[in-house]
Amino acid sequence: MTLMANALAVERASLRYGTFQALIDVTFSVGEGQLVTLLGPSGCGKTTLLKAIAGFMPLDSGRIEISGRDMQGVPPEKRDTAMCFQSYALFPHLSVAENIAFGLRQRRIKSSDIASRVAAVAQQVGLSPQLEKLPGQLSGGQQQRVALARAMAVHPGVMLFDEPLSNLDLKLRDHVRIEIRALQREHGFTAVYVTHDQQEALAMSDLVIVMRNGMIEQMGPPEQIYRHPVNRFVADFVGTANIMPVDVLASDQKSGRYEVTCPFGKAIIHSATPPVGSRIYACWRPEDAMLTSEITEEENRFTFDISARTFLGSLCNLALSPRNGAAEAFFRIQTHGFTPVREGQTVDVVIPPDAIRFLEEVVA
Amino acid sequence: MTNNQTLKAYLLLLPGLLPIIAFMSLVVGMAVSQSIGFFNFSGADQFSIQSWREILSQDQFWRAFLYSARTATLSAILSVLLAYPIALWLRRPFPGSDLISAMIKAPILVHGLVAAFLFVNFISFQGFLNVALVNLGFTASPMRMQNDTYAIGVVILQVWKNMPFAFLIIVGSVRAIGDDILDAARGLGAGWLARLRRIILPLTLRSLQAALVLIFIVAAGDYSFQAVAGPTSVNSLAQFMVRTQADNGANGWNEAAVVAVMLMGLSLFGSLIVAGLTQLAVRRMRR
Repeated sequence: MTLMANALAVERASLRYGTFQALIDVTFSVGEGQLVTLLGPSGCGKTTLLKAIAGFMPLDSGRIEISGRDMQGVPPEKRDTAMCFQSYALFPHLSVAENIAFGLRQRRIKSSDIASRVAAVAQQVGLSPQLEKLPGQLSGGQQQRVALARAMAVHPGVMLFDEPLSNLDLKLRDHVRIEIRALQREHGFTAVYVTHDQQEALAMSDLVIVMRNGMIEQMGPPEQIYRHPVNRFVADFVGTANIMPVDVLASDQKSGRYEVTCPFGKAIIHSATPPVGSRIYACWRPEDAMLTSEITEEENRFTFDISARTFLGSLCNLALSPRNGAAEAFFRIQTHGFTPVREGQTVDVVIPPDAIRFLEEVVA
Repeated sequence: MTNNQTLKAYLLLLPGLLPIIAFMSLVVGMAVSQSIGFFNFSGADQFSIQSWREILSQDQFWRAFLYSARTATLSAILSVLLAYPIALWLRRPFPGSDLISAMIKAPILVHGLVAAFLFVNFISFQGFLNVALVNLGFTASPMRMQNDTYAIGVVILQVWKNMPFAFLIIVGSVRAIGDDILDAARGLGAGWLARLRRIILPLTLRSLQAALVLIFIVAAGDYSFQAVAGPTSVNSLAQFMVRTQADNGANGWNEAAVVAVMLMGLSLFGSLIVAGLTQLAVRRMRR
């Protein structure tokens, strides 16, 4: 059986290290020219999955197809992939030019073609002046670019990135991230990108796959993952979320209007998908809530005390505790620019009904 | 590093380095001086190349020189050739790898002279090997293997004794190659031979060089293996040096000093050749 005509397809992939189940029935596919991010905390199986795709770790069960070809029993050197490692994994005894040419030499490409291809790729990643240097003479950002150029030079069917930016400082990380995405779009290569940085995943991907404990929790476009998380784990891991248990009091599935009680009172939720139970979790993003001082009767208008205020320049984070006595509850909102409020002050906050999402059922 | 820190570093090294440099200079200086007539035990100290003339005109000396050069080269190459695949095999730990590693290093604990006697007992006319071969029907009668003309016994002993040193030197550099580097090469299409030729060998060449040089020097200066298990028709340089000193009366020390200088020269020459060949190999592999 052939899976969907994709650049990469993974079907029911499972892998175990001793007693530890690293991957459990992982299934997904990547279209030609797409950049897919495997996102999750340390130990969730994302690097294992990447290494299984590259062929460094054989699956216990399931299958992997690259460009429609089953990879069962195909060694890494015969797969149409190239990997950018977290450690860069440059060959320290070879010059930048020789590092980039390495894969081309293995493919027995003519020397004259190798030289022109190395020059072209080096120019694309801005390494032309560094070609004769050894990797040890380059900065971290330059080394990362060599690793990228080396992988790009062989025109792989699927490019694999294993947390390639984690060793770079924040500013350089942003810069290289934009470069990788621009190169990926320009050359249209298919890429699987592993990261534990949710911002990186949201910024770069066509598709985000959130993993936990060797399983896929949710996959979809970045906006969908962020706006419509399916459970507390995804809501909390991708971005910041206020997660709270709610009891459904009244529901109208036709209009998608639900009345619930939550830690700070009665709230209205507008949702296209109905809740999975009568006592469930719901979440809302800090930036969706608005401070208000107008005297109007609005839905989901609640009064909070500001317990902490953090000014971040373009943003202001407020930690709020409800005025209704639920002292242990604690919520975060985020406002833009300078917000003239102080700790201890009482504020009114409006949470739009369509900003609150239903999550999974509360299990006693 | 500031100049002050550099000075401090040198001062800290001095207690260790000073005795080494002093001792080396003393030994080399004494040998060279004696070989040209100074520190003379038999007469007045005066410059003379008589001892050099005497030694360099002897066939026995040149046979000893070539014999030592040959056994040292063979021992160094075989030790490294044996140690290298074992080091590659033990690169990543696996159940039992520590035990294997410890067993490989065991010969370091056995003194060379003891090993030579054990070996001679093992291969002697009525030794274990001959008895086993006869009893198992492989040979009709015992074979004479002791003190063989081709110095196979000496080379076996040298390899047995020196291979652990080569292993210790090489295994460190092999283990220093990260899995990611080998995986990257693999992902770029390099099979095991390409990985060995283009990644592992170039990255471990310096340790191969160090192992070759050390074993060459040790084997070139061998006395005990040669005296116990070596061929009787030829001397090693060290053996020839002792014999020259003992057999030549008052001039013996000066002539033995010539042999000593030639022995040091052989070690230096061998090391330079190994270093040169390694440099060439590194340059070729970079291309």
